[in-house]
Amino acid sequence: MQIDIRHIAKLARLSIEDEKMEKFQHEMETIVAMCEKLPPMDDAYTAVDPSNPMRLRPDQVKPSLKRDQLLKNAPQVQAGCIVVPKVVE
Amino acid sequence: MTAASLSEKLQKKECSAVEIAHSVFGQIAKVEGTIGSFVTVCEEQALEQAKEVDRKIAAGEDLSPLAGIPIGVKDNICTKDVLTSCGSKMLSNFQPPYNATVVDKLEQAGAVIVGKCNMDEFAMGSSCETSYFKPAKNPWNPDYVPGGSSGGSASCVSAGEAVLALGSDTGGSIRLPASYCGVVGLKPTYGSVSRYGLVAFASSLDQIGPLGRSVADVASLYSVICGKDPMDATSAQREYGDFCQGMNRSVKGLRIGIPQEYFGEGVEPQVKAAVMAGIQRLAEEGAQAVNITLPSTDYALSAYYIISSAEASSNLARFDGVKYGYRAKDYTNLIDMYEKTRSEGFGDEVKRRIMLGTFVLSSGFYDAYYKRAKQMQQRIAQEYADAFQQCDVILTPTSPSPAFRVGERTDDPLKMYAADVCTVTVNIAGLPAISVPCGISENGLPIGMQMIGPKFSEQMLFDVAGCYETICGGFGIAPSMKGEGGQTK
Repeated sequence: MQIDIRHIAKLARLSIEDEKMEKFQHEMETIVAMCEKLPPMDDAYTAVDPSNPMRLRPDQVKPSLKRDQLLKNAPQVQAGCIVVPKVVE
Repeated sequence: MTAASLSEKLQKKECSAVEIAHSVFGQIAKVEGTIGSFVTVCEEQALEQAKEVDRKIAAGEDLSPLAGIPIGVKDNICTKDVLTSCGSKMLSNFQPPYNATVVDKLEQAGAVIVGKCNMDEFAMGSSCETSYFKPAKNPWNPDYVPGGSSGGSASCVSAGEAVLALGSDTGGSIRLPASYCGVVGLKPTYGSVSRYGLVAFASSLDQIGPLGRSVADVASLYSVICGKDPMDATSAQREYGDFCQGMNRSVKGLRIGIPQEYFGEGVEPQVKAAVMAGIQRLAEEGAQAVNITLPSTDYALSAYYIISSAEASSNLARFDGVKYGYRAKDYTNLIDMYEKTRSEGFGDEVKRRIMLGTFVLSSGFYDAYYKRAKQMQQRIAQEYADAFQQCDVILTPTSPSPAFRVGERTDDPLKMYAADVCTVTVNIAGLPAISVPCGISENGLPIGMQMIGPKFSEQMLFDVAGCYETICGGFGIAPSMKGEGGQTK
């Protein structure tokens, strides 16, 4: 199957260098061809294992990490806020 | 030496935790340049932890069997204020502000964390070659890969750079490197170990698990890390005992299922022979071999790559250069910043998987790929459930071949993916499985045998694996890593 790599990359917020485009195109097509082996099925499926249902914890107010601890890893911080390029003109 | 024997020595005061730590760091200094098991070595912190254990021993406090035991932790498991890179440029500066639950449990048990183990980038790979920092090598022969993605976790245990290690397994990432490096590795039942603080790859498949040089050691470490955690809603609500104390190493009357699909053409004859010989030895101890069938095995790899990549494309959307991790230097606007950050921060294999996941979830393709894969997942789980009506445990090769050469498969993703063909179904069905060494290949590399059980049957797996270990007379570190008079031989 022909795959529109540029389109897929755009959806995934990736840009692929021109010189790598052909390699990616070829590899993706082989991988997708492998994935196409699955036969059509009418089996039902459930997302959660019924024998081990998830139990959600109650939503309680508890002490959490401090703001400066959390911001320590942010690439750009100003006045306790994360800085990103302007989004609204 | 095993954790069990070191723990005994500590209790008897024949050696100190600091001495054990020094001996491990001595081995790291000697072999790490060749093997590359670690992204970060935490010597200072480890010695502090060891001193604390010695203080507790001197004070006569009760100690966990892991107290003072040197352990490696895969670099996708968060360690507070210690680099947790996931083997990626994207997180090459990330120091988590918190510990993963399993790391908290290790610290409470007094384990000594020697370093953060090298891995394939974001745990995507079967060879440990996609690490942004350096590839890890196989301690049995550094021309060969250690397997992946928990390559550094397996190589550090095999090379005597740690006694135990934590890895993570999404499609075989603990068992495959355990088999390639000749150590024991357990992929626990889905839900039995908290993933809080594990960098997510494919959330419906990921599981943290232990690697070690003996079955008892792996059982000890598993006993410490398993259990319900309110911070991980998928962790199962149940009680666990001490798996090491509970071991009886007997297989009398046990029915061993042998699925023909795992001994087909794609599996090397020497691997088949080694695994069949292993089964024979268990039969001599009173187990009974039963032929079974798992008919959908051929479809497992397809279903696995669809499901895991779909989940990865969603999980890895968070890496955008905003809150943490790498951010590109030059950009014109927000979208451009996202794209440049992700394109520069991720390696090619991660990009391939994100794009595959994006593709199978995109409109027009969802039904033909993702939906079918989820249906296949259900079918594979059902086939296992049916098989466990006829047998108690299923034995297969861990991988169709022993370790391959460094560089041999890097240009062919499908060949690389094929290494996981025997392991992915276990994750798809949420089952536990353990890999134990069962022979040596023609070129002197270990071969692994996989034992698969029903959900939450870890105790039985430890019994079978333990019985096999006793028959073999135990496993050990890679022959080439045995130095003279090394503490950790």
